[in-house]
Amino acid sequence: MVTVTININGENRTATVPPETTLLRALRDNFNLPGSKLGCDVGDCGACTVIVDGKPINSCLMLAAQADGRKVLTIEGLASMNGVHPLQRAFEDCASLQCGFCGPGVIMSAKALIDENPDPTIPQIRDALGGNLCRCTGYVKMIEAIQIAARVMRGETAEVNR
Amino acid sequence: MACMWYPIGFTVAANPSSAVVKMDEDGTATLLTGTVETGQGSLTILAQIVAQELGIATDDVVVVSADTDATPMDTGAIASRTTYVTGNAARMAAEKVKLMLFDVAAPMLGVKPHQLEAKDHKIVVKGYPQRNMHIADVANHARVVTGEPPIGSASFNPATVALDPETGQGKPFGTYVYATQIAEVDVDDETGEVEVIRMVASHDCGTPINPMLVEGQVEGGISMGVGFALQEEILFNAQGVQINPNLTNYIMPTSLDMPEIEVDIVDNYDPTGPFGAKGVGEPTLVPTAAAILNAIYNAVGVRITSLPATAEKVFNAIQAKREAEPKQITA
Repeated sequence: MVTVTININGENRTATVPPETTLLRALRDNFNLPGSKLGCDVGDCGACTVIVDGKPINSCLMLAAQADGRKVLTIEGLASMNGVHPLQRAFEDCASLQCGFCGPGVIMSAKALIDENPDPTIPQIRDALGGNLCRCTGYVKMIEAIQIAARVMRGETAEVNR
Repeated sequence: MACMWYPIGFTVAANPSSAVVKMDEDGTATLLTGTVETGQGSLTILAQIVAQELGIATDDVVVVSADTDATPMDTGAIASRTTYVTGNAARMAAEKVKLMLFDVAAPMLGVKPHQLEAKDHKIVVKGYPQRNMHIADVANHARVVTGEPPIGSASFNPATVALDPETGQGKPFGTYVYATQIAEVDVDDETGEVEVIRMVASHDCGTPINPMLVEGQVEGGISMGVGFALQEEILFNAQGVQINPNLTNYIMPTSLDMPEIEVDIVDNYDPTGPFGAKGVGEPTLVPTAAAILNAIYNAVGVRITSLPATAEKVFNAIQAKREAEPKQITA
């Protein structure tokens, strides 16, 4: 067993887990954060995407022990007491998700992109979502929502206007 | 380019949907339906239909769905049928509620029930909008004074005529939808690789009750169609065991594979549908692969007759075509 301490969504959390435990399993089973989804478990689908030290990663491919001492942001860390994150708001207003299973991963990939590049082009957005599979939407309304959220986060528009 | 028509509901076989609508004393309504929401937005559509019939807001309709013990029977979210079949049942159930409210309101407003309409949360005398009652007051009166709680139920099963086994004649479906999709592709004639650059999709789904959801269905259908046309293939070994049962080598479209999509909703009206609506589900992906393969023919002159049109197939077809053509000797 290994004991890990991870800063998850701004809070230090500690758990003792078998060494082969992935970060995804630890988030879902030990830290009670089931927002990150278990899809393929081999890094193909991106439904488990979380942000570790500013970079989007597949949490099914990282061991919980590798995340020890790092900062992890999950979908649960986006909304605040003031409401949902601009990305979540834009995804809702644009009907960007259908079944929604890929949603947490897509939104975390988008968050990592906008944090690094506040004014992404459509090809840059497509590139950032390249590791997130979606079977329902054709990605069209996700790309639209990410552009809108980026505008809101840059302070150019207060509201999500489709 | 490819055109298609597609039926809504089952082929002749019964595929009913039932619905129960009740109006509460606060002017909100509850819809009970057996259908299930899978993300396509069908419960939003049903709430919109009930709201439109009762003259209230979509937010004022609470939808209780998919509890097979407690909700009325529905054949299911299949066959592109929910908006048309379940939507008709929901509209008819809401209409019954509305007529009950008219019966209660008519004597209070001093008119006959058929002179009333429901709009803006009110029961209104047609042509005299100042003569009205709030729908909540009417619903409450129906409950506590006349003793006729406004509750309606209805079932809808598309009207069909069985196919004659000898002539094939009949009317197997309640309604049909129509679509045309146009693909613009870039084919690399040295490698056979095909890139879909742009898709334009024109769909007649009757009245688009929620155009944003129609767009979502079309865009999603096209992504499945692009995969069907160019990428997705279940491969088996000699023993019949699938050799690509994972997303590593069963290749479905990513955001990088998707073309630019332009959705053109052809506003139409089907008198048999709820407020003229038909449906949009499976039809969105029916013409996509055909349009892409026709575009490949238009680009490089080869017909690919099996799916998916992988780079290997397209390359081999281009090579075969070149070998069959007489050699051109340059001067």
